[in-house]
Amino acid sequence: MNIFIPGVATTKFGELWGVSPRTLAHEAAGGALRDARLEPKDIEAVFVGNMLSGMLGGQEHLGAFFAEELGLAAPAFKIEGACASGGLAMHNAINAVSSGQYRTVLVLGIEKMTDHRPEDVAAALMGAGSEEERTAGATFPGLYAILSRAHMAAFGTTSADLARVAVKNHAHAARNPHAQFRTKITVEDVLKSSMIADPLHLLDCSPISDGAAAVIVSSVKHHVSRKNAVQVAASAVATDTLGLAQRKSLTELAATREAARRAYRESGMSPKDIDVIELHDCFTIAEILALEDLGVVPKGRVPARRGGVVVNPSGGLKGCGHPVGATGVKQIAELVEQLRGSAGERQVPNSRVGLAHNVGGSGGTAVVHILTV
Amino acid sequence: MKSPVKLWRNQKKVRDLVGLVGTVVSWTTIRVPPAGFSDQAPYVVALVALGRRRIMAQLVDVDLSSVSVGLRVITVVRRVTKPSQDGIIPYGIKVKPL
Repeated sequence: MNIFIPGVATTKFGELWGVSPRTLAHEAAGGALRDARLEPKDIEAVFVGNMLSGMLGGQEHLGAFFAEELGLAAPAFKIEGACASGGLAMHNAINAVSSGQYRTVLVLGIEKMTDHRPEDVAAALMGAGSEEERTAGATFPGLYAILSRAHMAAFGTTSADLARVAVKNHAHAARNPHAQFRTKITVEDVLKSSMIADPLHLLDCSPISDGAAAVIVSSVKHHVSRKNAVQVAASAVATDTLGLAQRKSLTELAATREAARRAYRESGMSPKDIDVIELHDCFTIAEILALEDLGVVPKGRVPARRGGVVVNPSGGLKGCGHPVGATGVKQIAELVEQLRGSAGERQVPNSRVGLAHNVGGSGGTAVVHILTV
Repeated sequence: MKSPVKLWRNQKKVRDLVGLVGTVVSWTTIRVPPAGFSDQAPYVVALVALGRRRIMAQLVDVDLSSVSVGLRVITVVRRVTKPSQDGIIPYGIKVKPL
């Protein structure tokens, strides 16, 4: 069965103190419906990707919450997989449509983080880690710092190598009107920014953000006049241990490798077929690990060039912002724009195949999607 | 984490981990701590190999500049965070230089 993505939308990402989750949901879902030229009555189910509404906002039951808010009297589900919640919601939506249970469904990724104290957000995010890591007083910057140091020891990776990831993603974000940071930065800016968890500086870290993204998934080729109907070529999920200490290796995310292997097999494609990638750069080291584990560059060969593929044209998590439940859905929305050729100033020329890579925690979950046009 | 029942249930696990010797595999210094840890920052969190087993633990009683991969450490019982409002003090495993 062919699975199409006829509509996408993303809200502005950033510190949106004047905007409620309800408003974000309306903007994203309404935008995706308009984009697909569909009505609310066409939506047969809703899949909400979110991580922190319970811990930070005291609100669970998000399926019914957003179905009511959006006026969709439809089956609705909250899907949680830490920062991979959006990608997992996408995977579940695709499965539900593939099964024939529903023809057309809405995926909503959403997160409201900046209403709360940073130390409370940091503690809530550690819900994605293991009890042992929480007892140790670790944070997510801390866990990725431990991965960074292991990569540096194994391959001679430097802080400047990490910084160049942030510099590139900020440059991309400068062209994205929805991005949180539309400011270019230099390697020196990154290295001079304050240390968060050695060796990661402030500008090695993605920010705390608010935002939402929505995607329509359908077995029907809606809006047939559109020449560039984007299709799902693969949707794959893999898991690994929650805690870093239980991993076999600190220089790879095995879940990324496994999800990518499944996605390449499902689509019949290989890394060299990919034109554009939206990957999970929650920290600069995470982009380097992802490029290696997705098979785009050899392990330990710090990517000076990426073989022509453009990585994170949206600005990635670093530049565009990282409202955790929204990120995996935003990646899909960005790829759809790129494959349609409607990405404006940040358009990657001749994009035919796009890959999205979404990670939960320090690699406990990885989701890989491949889209084609 | 501060449920007395959960703390009681975890006692056995803590007991089995006391007094083990190992080495630091990788580490970081947490300068922006999560809620409950602000009075301890900056502090070192280390991934430690205890024989074939690995754990993540805070590294205490150490000068920040003297931490390195391969540092020999021993597991100890320490207070984890500030006491809760109910006065419950959570204890857990940390490591210190041998």
